[in-house]
Formats: sequence, structure tokens, C-alpha cells
Amino acid sequence: MSPAENERHHRFLRSFTAQEPAIRAYVRRLVPSRADADDVTQEIAVVLWEKFSQFREGADFRAWAFGVARMEVLGWLRDKGRDRLVLSEDVVELIAEESSRDEPHLHRQRAALEACMAKVTPDQRDLIMKAYQPESSIQEVAGASGRTVAGFYQWLHRMRRLLLDCVKRELGREGSS
Amino acid sequence: MKPDAALESLIQRYLDGVATAQDLGELNGHLRSDAAARSQFTEMLNLDSALAANAAGWLADQAGASAPQRVQRRPLVLPARWLAAAACLALAGAAWWWQGTNAVFATVHKGAGAEELAVGMPLRGEVHEIKNGAVEFITSRGARIVVEAPALFQFESAQRLHLMRGRVAAEVPPAAKGFTVITPTGNAVDLGTKFGVDVPVGRAAEIHVFQGEVIAQPSGGRQRQSVRGGQAVTLQSTPGGEREFRSAAFIRSDELTALSAGLVAGQRARAETGVSLLRHDPALIALLDFQSGVLPPGTYRVVQGRWPGSHAPEFVNTGDHMKIDVGGEREWPQLSLAAWVRLDRLGAPYQSLYHTDGWAGDKPGQVHWIINHDTTMRLALQGNTVAPGTHDRFPDSRTPVLPEQGRWVHLAVVYDSVAHTVRFYLNGRFDREVRQETAFPARLGPAQIGNWNQQDRKLSGRVGELLILGRAMNDDEVRALHAAGTPYL
Repeated sequence: MSPAENERHHRFLRSFTAQEPAIRAYVRRLVPSRADADDVTQEIAVVLWEKFSQFREGADFRAWAFGVARMEVLGWLRDKGRDRLVLSEDVVELIAEESSRDEPHLHRQRAALEACMAKVTPDQRDLIMKAYQPESSIQEVAGASGRTVAGFYQWLHRMRRLLLDCVKRELGREGSS
Repeated sequence: MKPDAALESLIQRYLDGVATAQDLGELNGHLRSDAAARSQFTEMLNLDSALAANAAGWLADQAGASAPQRVQRRPLVLPARWLAAAACLALAGAAWWWQGTNAVFATVHKGAGAEELAVGMPLRGEVHEIKNGAVEFITSRGARIVVEAPALFQFESAQRLHLMRGRVAAEVPPAAKGFTVITPTGNAVDLGTKFGVDVPVGRAAEIHVFQGEVIAQPSGGRQRQSVRGGQAVTLQSTPGGEREFRSAAFIRSDELTALSAGLVAGQRARAETGVSLLRHDPALIALLDFQSGVLPPGTYRVVQGRWPGSHAPEFVNTGDHMKIDVGGEREWPQLSLAAWVRLDRLGAPYQSLYHTDGWAGDKPGQVHWIINHDTTMRLALQGNTVAPGTHDRFPDSRTPVLPEQGRWVHLAVVYDSVAHTVRFYLNGRFDREVRQETAFPARLGPAQIGNWNQQDRKLSGRVGELLILGRAMNDDEVRALHAAGTPYL
């Protein structure tokens, strides 16, 4: 790479690394599964680098990246929608639009999760973390916890709701203090 | 507002991948028509990605106790189009953190010239850049990590350091076994070791193992390779990445302590004064400190020199060199050569410090200054012969000049064709005098640092400063030269 190219790559890495969690979370809100979000985010990383020459210095990298990500996701959904259950394109467009606008708030919610994870018991935390490992088998995690698969999903749903309520309480407290 | 329970159930089934076509139809209907439903959906999916990020960190924290049995994310679907793309993919594929995390992964323990990072500063998941100097962190698991500038890096957890560029030396205690350095071209997974990782700009990363064992995993994850003490590999996707072990390429914890003390004691200012005095020496032929904008031509990398943010040429591959042409056609009855170098201990027969081009009988006095296989220093002048009673063909120093571990060393040799002597110095101390029977005046002109133009030789490491003086320095002067220029205390 030429020195100018190195410098450009360097600038890209700085911007991308800082925004990668937001981009991944944004993509997750638009595709059916976490594994899909991982795959699509990887593709988006390459596309962002390829298009980085079009990015205007000083502009909002996250907004630009979300725009690129949205186009990639819509293309991916059209491709996968033939044999997978995915949300309708008009619905995804709506969610993309609104969740891009709400990202600062959603970012604070993600950040507040750590405090809430500290409030559940270690056993509960371990079980959630096991269920969230990439390629984990819900059957195995459910079995190891002594639950049926259906029972485990119900438990997981309750835990997620509990955590989301906690996150909102945490942010409410921050807002009022 | 209390969430709609039926909608909640739909959303959670969707995110677990167990929704039916009918579920999806209903969900589409709710989301299309109801902003509150979209908000509920978005927040739950957002929580899902936060949990996934948290789980990645949790896994990294669990990995320490045993061998590096990390669960890999799914293999890449795309071919790595080029290095930059590989960098992005490594970023995207890594176990992830998110910005608001409060866990402290490492703390700045000491530093030398890295102004961006103050001692005691906690490092969480932020991206850091250091432009000058070097800094040591201690992770929450007790691993000691020295990063040398210029570097761009980020701790993903206490056990995972993402190094986008720069050099890292790690000392990993048993409690931090499994510590991983992630680079754009692959990962280095510790198995209880001391090791270094170099991520040069635009080139594949290298792993150098000082002690113990490291697993090298090139991007793409096809092959894992064990690298043991004294070995090194390049993290490239094609097999056969073995390379020579560069013992001096990395700043390690104990050296950083000495560098930091040297800076605090004002060594840099002292060195600058010494250099400016030398520039006024009437016998000066050349003083290269590589700080000016334009460096001499050649094939070499530019890395950090003895001082934070200073420059030094680094020679890595056989044939790497820097061309200089000083001293003209004239003859120099006396000559002093001195250099600050940081060199690897190699098996190569010779390392070339300074070679005049050619070695012809009709040009007696041509100068070759080299390091021998046994790491002693040699000064050979074309046509000269050693005095009877000495077994060697050429004047060599007595003491090996390269330390086991990388450090800056000061090498000097003083030649006097009138007195028929060659005197060697290591770090300012007189080492040995060799008498010459035939002693031509020295002849300079076109020359190379790092190679010989007749037959490729190697120099592996950095040259921080080179002084060529057309007179014989005495012992006190060489001692003062070292004392003024050393970066250590």
C-alpha cells in the first residue's frame, strides 16, 4: 500500500472500530438471527472499506455506515427471503429508519445491560451466556439446565423481559439524577 | 407503558428463530401499523445484540483457565480480498465488546514518551493510538503487555488485545493463559509464554516467541501452528510462514523501565547536545541520525529509534540496505566509526554495518565494518594485514557485541594507519586493540549500510545513528559519546 493508502486505511479502521458495535446492533434489528447479523456485518465491513473513498472527511461515519448497511441488508433479505422467514421489506425499511434515529438511546440501553447482568444470580447469568454462545445448541443448554426446550425458551423470554425492564429503570434513574 | 404480552411473545419467538409463517404475518401486521410495537420490537432486538456482545466477552474471560479452546464464529463466507479487507473481517468477526462497558481490562503500568496514556489510566474497550514511545499495561489477569509506537490497538477483554498496527511484547502468567493478540492477518494465542507480535503497515503480522509456546492462527482459520521459544512465523494464509527469529525487534518490560528512567533523567536533551557538538567537529565526515525529512535511498523500513517519535531505518530481509556516499576520493589516515544499533542475534555469517562498494586490490583502504557469526565486531580494510602473532585474518573485537535480548548498543571502532592500530569499543568501554602490519589509509566513497553491493549480506535490526569521523577518537571521547547518547539509565 502507498503511504496515502495506509493513511486512509488507518482512518477507516479507527472509524470502523469505534462504530462496529453500533453497526452490528443496527443490522441485528433488521435480520432474523444473530448469526445472520454476524455474516451480514462481515460483508458490510468489506463494502464500507471499498466505498470509503466516497466518504467525505468530517462527515458522520455512523450515519454513512448505517446507510450502506441498510442497502446491504435489504439486498440480503431479498436474496434470503425466498427460502427463509424474514420480515417484509416495507417493515424493515420502517425499522431501519426509526432505529437509526433512535441509536443514541439504544446505545445507552446496550451500555446499561452490564449493570443489569450484575443483578441476576450467577447461575442465571451463566445460563444466559451459554445460550448466547455462537453455535450453542439450545437443546443441550436446556437439557443441562434440567428444562425442556419449550420450558427453556419461556425462561429465556422472562429473563430478557426482566433485563429490558431493568435497563429502562437504570436509564430512568440516570435521567432523574 | 406495559408491553403487549401477545406481541412480546411473537417478537421473542421471531428472535429465537422459532416463529412460524403465521407468526411472521402477524408480526409484520403489528409492526407496519403500530409505532409502539416497532419500539418494543427494536428494544428487544437491541437487547439481543447487547447480550450477544456480553456473551463474547464472557467466553473470552472463561478461556483463560484451560487451553485456547475458543469457540470460533462462523467461518467467513467471503474471500479476503486484500489485507485491508482482512483487517475489517477480523474486526467484524472478533468477540465483541460495546462502548459503554465498565469493566477495566488493563491498566497503564509504566511508559516512556507515550503521552496519550498516563500511568494508572484504566483501559476499557476504547481504541487507542500511540504515536511515540512505548507503554506497558498490566491486564486484570496479570499479563504484562508492552506496546511500541506507532501503534493502534484496543483491548476487547482482559484476554484479547486487538492490534491493528504496532509491536507488542507480552509476558503471560499462568492465570492469563489463553491471552490472544488479534491482528489483521490472524491471531496469536498464548499457551503460557513470553512472545512478541509485529503488525507492520500493509504487511502480514509476525509472531516471535521468546519462551514457551504460542498457537498461530492465520485468518481464515484453516491451519493452526505451534510456535516455540526461539521460533517465529509470519501470519499468512499460505503455509510455510516460518521466518528468522528477531530477538531485538521488541521492547520488553525491563527495557522499558530503563528507557523511562533515561527519559526522566534528560538523556534525550543530552544526546541532542552531543549530536550538535559533533556537527561542529572539523574532522566530521558524516553524522546520520535519520531525523531529517529526507532519508538516504535504499530498501528498508522506517521505525522508531532510541527516542520516542524518532526515526531509525530497520533492515529485515537479506539485501535490505541504505546507500550513502561520504568521504569522497580522499584518503583518511585516521578514522572513527560509531553507531547506535539494535540488532538480532542471527545465524547469518556476517551482518553488514557499513560496506564500501566493491573490495578491489587496486583500491587499498576500502572499509568493511561487520558483525561476525559469533557476534564479535570486525573492521577490515582492503590490503591491510594483521601483525604477526595474531591468529585472525582480520581485526575482531574480543567481546560479543549483541545482547541476548534486544537492546540498543553503542559500537565504535577507531582506526589509525599511522599508529597501525584498530581499537574496538562496546558501549563506550574499550574492548581490544589489534595491531596491523600493513595499514593503508582508509578509503570511503559509495557504500551501503545493511548490505554489501558485491554479494548480499544481511543486517537484521535498526540503526539509530551512524558517526564517521576523519580522526582517531580517544578512550575518553568514546566513553563520553556513549554516555551522552544512551537512552537508558
